[in-house]
This record gives sequence, C-alpha cells and structure tokens, in this order.
Amino acid sequence: MRFGKLKQKTGIVHINKLWCKGCGFCVKYCPTGVLELSKEYNHKGYHPPYVKHADQCRLCKFCEVICPEFTIYVTDEEEENHSA
Amino acid sequence: MTARRTGVFVCHCGTNIAATVDVKRVAVEMGQEEGVVFSKDYVYMCSDPGQSSVIKAIQDNQLDGVVISCCTPTLHEKTFRDVSTEAGLNPFRCEIANIREQCAWVHSNRDEATEKALKITTSAIRRVQNNEALTPIGVPVTRRAMVIGGGIAGIQASLDLANAGLDVVLVEKQPTLGGHMLQLSETFPTLDCSQCILSPKMVEVSKNKKIKLLTDAEVTEVSGFVGNFKVKVKQKAQYVDPELCKLCDDCTHVCPVVVPNEYDQGLTGRRAIFIPYAQAIPASFNLDEKSCLGLNPVVCGKCADVCEAQAINYDVKPKTYEEDVGAIVVATGFDLYGLENMGEYGMGKYEDVLDGLAFERLCSASGATGGHVLRPSDHKEPKEVVFIQCAGSRDPENHCAYCSKICCMYTAKHAMLYKHHVPDGQAYIFYIDIRSGGKGYEEFVQRGMEKDGTVYLRGRVSKVFEKDGKIKVMGVDTLAGRTIEIDADMVVLALAMQPSKGTADVAKTLKIGRDKDGFLAEAHPKLRPVESVTAGIFLAGAAQGPKDIPETVCQASAAAAKVIQLLSKEQLEHSPAVANVRLSHCTGCEMCVDACPYEAISLTGGGKAYVNEVLCEGCGTCQATCLRAAIDVKNITQLQIFDMINASIGG
Repeated sequence: MRFGKLKQKTGIVHINKLWCKGCGFCVKYCPTGVLELSKEYNHKGYHPPYVKHADQCRLCKFCEVICPEFTIYVTDEEEENHSA
Repeated sequence: MTARRTGVFVCHCGTNIAATVDVKRVAVEMGQEEGVVFSKDYVYMCSDPGQSSVIKAIQDNQLDGVVISCCTPTLHEKTFRDVSTEAGLNPFRCEIANIREQCAWVHSNRDEATEKALKITTSAIRRVQNNEALTPIGVPVTRRAMVIGGGIAGIQASLDLANAGLDVVLVEKQPTLGGHMLQLSETFPTLDCSQCILSPKMVEVSKNKKIKLLTDAEVTEVSGFVGNFKVKVKQKAQYVDPELCKLCDDCTHVCPVVVPNEYDQGLTGRRAIFIPYAQAIPASFNLDEKSCLGLNPVVCGKCADVCEAQAINYDVKPKTYEEDVGAIVVATGFDLYGLENMGEYGMGKYEDVLDGLAFERLCSASGATGGHVLRPSDHKEPKEVVFIQCAGSRDPENHCAYCSKICCMYTAKHAMLYKHHVPDGQAYIFYIDIRSGGKGYEEFVQRGMEKDGTVYLRGRVSKVFEKDGKIKVMGVDTLAGRTIEIDADMVVLALAMQPSKGTADVAKTLKIGRDKDGFLAEAHPKLRPVESVTAGIFLAGAAQGPKDIPETVCQASAAAAKVIQLLSKEQLEHSPAVANVRLSHCTGCEMCVDACPYEAISLTGGGKAYVNEVLCEGCGTCQATCLRAAIDVKNITQLQIFDMINASIGG
C-alpha cells in the first residue's frame, strides 16, 4: 500500500512449547495459515507449532481462544515496539 | 410434390461474378435443364429493375420455383424471398445458388469457374424442384431485456431500454456500477470530470423502477433462443444487506484486514469490509469473502458486533436468479494488458512505473493522493515524467498486434493533467504515430504540445530500469536519429486494452463468437456492428473492440435500439425449415435427442422422437445421425441432398 493511512496491523504469536500437546487446532483453524507443526519434540514428546508466516497474522487471536492448553497468546506488534 | 415450372435468374453482380464466370452461358445452359421454363441473366439482379423482372417472370410464366444464382444467401436470400412473396410465390420455393463467394471470388480460370457455376446452379434447381411451400412459425416474445456489464456501455443501454418502457435486468460482476470509467479523473477532449458525468447516470439506474440491478452477480447459464431466453444469474452472498446498511463506516474501523484497493489500482488499501467508492451504487458496504478472516463470528466477527443497523449477517448464502428475457446486450468491457507482461519495462517491479489507470487515480481528486501527482516510492512530486505509448499494442511479435485506439488521446490528456498539477514539471511522450481521429481530438493533442509544452519523441523505448532513485528510460528518437536517455522520476505506460477477464466465459455461456484477439465478434464488421452472430444477442462497448467513451455510448444506444426494434413485435417469425419426424420409421433410439445441439428433440410417451419446432434451427445434425432416415429437415431432405450431390458430380 503506497498511499493512504490504512496500514495492516500484524500480531506477534507467542508459543509456550512446554505446555503444548500437539493437537494441531491452532494450525487448522488459523484463518490466514500462520502456523505449522514443527518436526521437533517438546519434553512431553509432542510436536509444538511454530510461526511459519509471521507477516500473515491479523491479530484475531483465534489461536488463543481455541488452544486447549493455554499455550498460545498474541500481542500487538505496534504496542510491543512502542513499549520496547 | 415436384415443381416443374422453374425459373433461373443469373446475376452478373457488376463484374464481381461476370469477370470470372461466363454468366450468359450459365443462363442459356440452365434454360435447357429439365423443368426449367425460364432463364435469364442481368447485371444487378438485386437492383429495383432486377427485382421487378423476377416478379414479372414469375407471374408471366406461372413459375412454381425460382433459383437466383448470385451472392451468398446471407446477403440476399431475404430480398429474393420477399420478391417471390410479392409475386405470389411461396418464399420457400425460392433458393439461392451462391456463385460469387463460393465460385467467382475464389477462382481465376474462367472455363473452370463457369463449369462450377453451372453445377452449383443445377444443384439448386434440383433442390428447389422438391421444395415444399412453408409458412413461418410464429413465436411469442418476452418483452424484457438483460444487460450484462454495468460500465458506461451497460448503464447507457439499460437506461435507453428502460426509458423505452422495457423491463431491464442489469447484471454486474463488481459490487458497484461504473466500470473503468469510474476510475478516470478527467476525460478527453473536454477535460470534464469523469465521475461528475457518470454518477448521475448511475443514480438514474438505481432510481429507475424498470431496471432490476444485480451487482456481485454473474451469468452462469443461458438457454432458449431469440425472444425467449432463460438466463440463470448467480449472485455472491450479500453479507451486508444494502437495504439496512446506513453507510456509517463503523465496520471498517474495526476490521483487522487490509488489502490493496482495486479501485485505486492498489495505490491505497482497503479493509475486507469496504465500500468501493463513496458514490457507489448500490450504496452499501460489501464484505469481501476472500480477504475476510473467515465469516466465523468466533474468529473475528468484529464488524457485525459494531454494526448498529444489524446489516451484517455471516449466514447469507449465494442466490441464483432465473430471468426470462427476450434479448441480451453484452457489455463486459476491457482490462489493461497488465504490467507483469511488460518484461522490457520492469514487469511491474518498479513502484514508480505505473499503468494509465493508476496515473488516473493519482490525478483524481477522489484518488489515492487527493489529486496530487506523487511518486508511490517516496511520495515526492515527480519533476520529469515519461509516458510510453503502444505499451503492448502494435507489437505482433511480443504482445498484441492491434492498436488500442484510445491511448494516444489519454496519454496526451495525462501529460496535460500532469502539467496542470505540477506546473514546473516536464512531460515526455514516446510514440509511434499519433492517432487522433475524432471531433476535437487533434486540436487537443496540439494544445498539449503548444500550451503545456509536452515533448513528443517519435520512437520506441527499449528498456526501463531503476537507478539511484530514478527511472532510467533508454529510447530512440527516430526523427532526430539519435538515442535518448532520460532520468525520469516516474514512467507511465499506455498499456494495451484487452477484453475483460470474464469475456471468454460469457461468450462461451451465451454461445457467441470471439475474434482472434478475444474481443466479442460482431455479425458483420460494417453492416451489423452491434449484433452478435446469435440472434437476439447484441454487443456494446470495449468488449467488442477498443473504444473511447463517446463511441461506447454510441454503440450502447445502438444496441438498445436494436433490442427495442426486436421486442416491439407482437411475435417473432421462426424459420419453418425445421426437422420433421417420419413416425413410421422412428424406433425411438434417442440418437437424435443426444445429437441435437439445441435440445429441440425429445421422446414422446409413445417412444417416438418429437421436434420442438421453435427450438429447432434446422441444422440437420439429427438427419445425419438417424440410422433409419426417420428424420428430415424440411426443404433439405435426404432425397434433395442426393439430387444436389448428383447434380454437382454431373450425374
């Protein structure tokens, strides 16, 4: 977008790999396909997700809502930069 | 029933036929043929004296069959059938032998051509001697029209039709009416604001009770025939109810998605819920299904939460409308050739290399920058702008072979507008020729050169590339015979016009032809420029070929006039030369039912084929398919075809 005030807001996805049980809900339900299950194992033996397309996150926080293990949360990129 | 008083009339067509065919010999020899009681030749059979002589000969000799050896039946079959009617002979007892297009024009050897003309004429004589007297079939007319495409062509055609008292269904693919004209800033050669002249017409369409407007909709299926089409239109789900939407703009503030705005050629962004532009018709926000986070209220649903009018409903489904119409106007418009195709000009990689429509959006007061010409890369005012004409046009090796017709004029306008916005800037135009045919057009181009100091350079640009924040343009000035390098701040390409993306599908659905460049094909390039080859379907605007606004409006009104003419009749006449089933021979094998391209044949309860005469076009496919000779097309039966073949091979 070259002109105008509209800028795409992007969220930052944080994943607590230790709590993840690899159910894959976040991967399946993310509307813009930000996440993918990684090949690595966590200490429980599950594959936790990782952020594949960070720029695609639209801050809807649906992954936060749908995660049964409270493993994922999303923060606003602008606010992060502002406070830092 | 065999006719045995046949008359033959051989036409010279000036020298068109007579130069290659010995017309007198044809007339004399045909006079000897069995059953022929009268034969003559004449310079122009279609002239008034020619026609009168045919009438006189029919009456004086009590002819019961007539063969006119002349040009193609598409030109004069109707003329001579009318002449026969006037003379008291059934018009279907008159046949044309085409000795011009199928003989004189394609041969040079006079003797051989004459032999062939003799055979063609004899075969027509054999045919006409077994012709039945037929009466045309009356077909009722649906007094309603459909217009496909809601650009200026479709708008004009719809208004003309509605003002003539006809009901109109206007189908537009985009969420708003207006088409490409809505994107323009000013229009040549008068420099009046495009939206100022278009918006009132759009409002008129929305206010007119005779016009049913379907936006976000596409034609998916067409059946039937002239006067009685059945059209299926699929409308995308209308998640925002246009009746309820109050245009408060609350929804766009909460929508988390930003995508490029098509209306601004991607120069600005828009939300997934948006209004294409402030004066859009229908006046309502739209939800773009593709970029929305998923229409699942749990995922996002922010727009529905804030909508006080409760106009947003995620559960709405697409709708299919079935419309009965008598005629269709196709006005599906154009698209630009696409920057990505222009390898030599950066393939759309450089931000400051724009297409013509994007430059319009920069000049427009309602555009991306509020009417300031600025570089997309750094938002600075460009001081040197290079305009390149024929970008993609007139280049048969690499791009499109044809001339896009409007680019000379709009580039002259662009340079002029640029100079008005940036008085200390300099505009350069690279051109091949300046084609400014049109009222006031040449004067407009001259004004650009003289008053606004546009520099015209005759020659092609070989390469455009980015260097140190400038766009380097390498070209040649063929008049001065030197190469030119310009360090420009911005480059604007006058890209070729192409038929719009949906045109191919629409043409396929409607069964109308396209030309070699993909534009819709007219029935005759000179005499039937607004009709398609399919009866009852008419063409308007840039879908038929590159055109400017006045020409488009002209053609749209012409198409509307044709529709009004068609639908003003009580009933239409359908050719009675249709398939006929010999019930004693039919075994009900259904092969003709499958073969018929018009779905005119079905099986009756008694297990015999039945022909719907209104749907039948007399193509003869069934006749060729039937194994038992149980189906015949009237006046071109199998027996007649055998006779004609025998005559042609000299039997």
